[in-house]
Amino acid sequence: MRLVRRLAAVTVISLLSIFLSEKRALDPIQNLSLTATTPLASRLRDAARPVDDFFKGITDRGDIVRDNKDLRDQIEKLQHAVAAQQNAEQRIRELEAALGVKQARPEDQLLVANVMSEDTSSLKRMIAIDRGSKDGLDEGMVVLSRGGSLVGTVSRTFNDFSWVQLVTDPDSVVNAQVIPGTPGAQAGSPTATTAVTPTPTPAPPASSPAPPTEVPTPLPPSPTPIASPVRGVAEGDLKHELVLDFLPPDASLPEGSLVTTSGLGGNYPRELLIGSVEGVEQRPQSPFTKAMLKPAADLSTLDTVLVLLSFKPARLSKQ
Amino acid sequence: MKYVIAAVAAELLAIFHVSVMQYIEILGVTPDLVLIFVAVWAVVRGHDEAFVVGLLAGFVKDLATSDPLGTSVLALTPLVLLAAAMRIRAVDTEFLPSVAVVALGSLGYGIISMIVLAGTGQSVAWSDSILRVVLPGCLVNALFTPVVYLPVHMFSAQRRVGTIGTRRLTSPL
Repeated sequence: MRLVRRLAAVTVISLLSIFLSEKRALDPIQNLSLTATTPLASRLRDAARPVDDFFKGITDRGDIVRDNKDLRDQIEKLQHAVAAQQNAEQRIRELEAALGVKQARPEDQLLVANVMSEDTSSLKRMIAIDRGSKDGLDEGMVVLSRGGSLVGTVSRTFNDFSWVQLVTDPDSVVNAQVIPGTPGAQAGSPTATTAVTPTPTPAPPASSPAPPTEVPTPLPPSPTPIASPVRGVAEGDLKHELVLDFLPPDASLPEGSLVTTSGLGGNYPRELLIGSVEGVEQRPQSPFTKAMLKPAADLSTLDTVLVLLSFKPARLSKQ
Repeated sequence: MKYVIAAVAAELLAIFHVSVMQYIEILGVTPDLVLIFVAVWAVVRGHDEAFVVGLLAGFVKDLATSDPLGTSVLALTPLVLLAAAMRIRAVDTEFLPSVAVVALGSLGYGIISMIVLAGTGQSVAWSDSILRVVLPGCLVNALFTPVVYLPVHMFSAQRRVGTIGTRRLTSPL
């Protein structure tokens, strides 16, 4: 009987806590706890990384040598592509100046944040960052990698911290488009795509609040004309990490094609790089084609991210 | 005092979980040291203490993760019940019941966590989550049981020696 009473008490306490937590009544406790534990967690994380790198270096040596060779080849190709692109950009600037056309988002403001911990529950893909509501963050804001590709969105803010839902989280949904025939796009080469993306200013130390940084549009215009982009929905997936679903059944998606945000729905700006196509799944009985994506940002080794402050998602505008 | 020690241990394990354990991924999942700790405590020290320890450890874990506060407390409760059931056993060892409680408790923990996530408005891919997270988690957590079992058992044995003398009541395994 005592066991049943205790069981009932624990169940009531936990359900009450979940209810209060959802009503944001326990946020100060969670904020205080994260503030207290973050320094130790960060030190442990930093201490464990070299050990992890050492063991990965041993086990993945063959892959590293192969990747190194492939990447050297890609660098050479990309240098040519960058040179061509710089010419094209210069030409575009001249034409824009002549026509008086404004840039898409010249006023983008980004806030640098350090990754403090990762939710390893496996059911979710979340990271905690050291910026919160007092830094101007709000739920729904877009988070980018240092290279400018999409990492996820702010899902919950506390005073000093925020949880970021990664694009690979099963709950994450992003309206996306495939840009066919993107130059320099190689299968499984996120480095190739981020290499041509403008790099923002380096992250300052965690203790000092970073001023908003101004950077140009994350994805530069392609030097070749883009045929009609194929639109779909990029969703997090426990099996494939990231999939692009609801594509037309006859969609032609070469491996390595770049996938960016489409801007539909207003929750993400247009042309933020999400990743590249790794494989396509076409089932005869299915009305849609599904593509497996490789995220452009290496989400497993993130230590610094950028929060896009200047873009107000539609879900925030409605509030 | 024992609850203070348990709370500190759970806090350290929770910090370890969100910082270091992300680098240890087996079968696509990360071992849950806090869950193993509560399961082992429940088997070695009894379900009376385990209710309090589960409550403390659950809150500590939720404070370090993105789950709503209280999710882990609810999800850890079946562990205590399983441990209570395991007290009636044929073998004179606490290790094997600990492994069994960890494995079965991981299953209960995963399912309750998914129910809470779905209840709080998040989408849950049920079949994928069970096949790719919950079931491998049962195996991986069971494999990591000795890591937590030995310290808890040693702490428990020291307390017994202090209270009832040097006679051993159970085997180390």
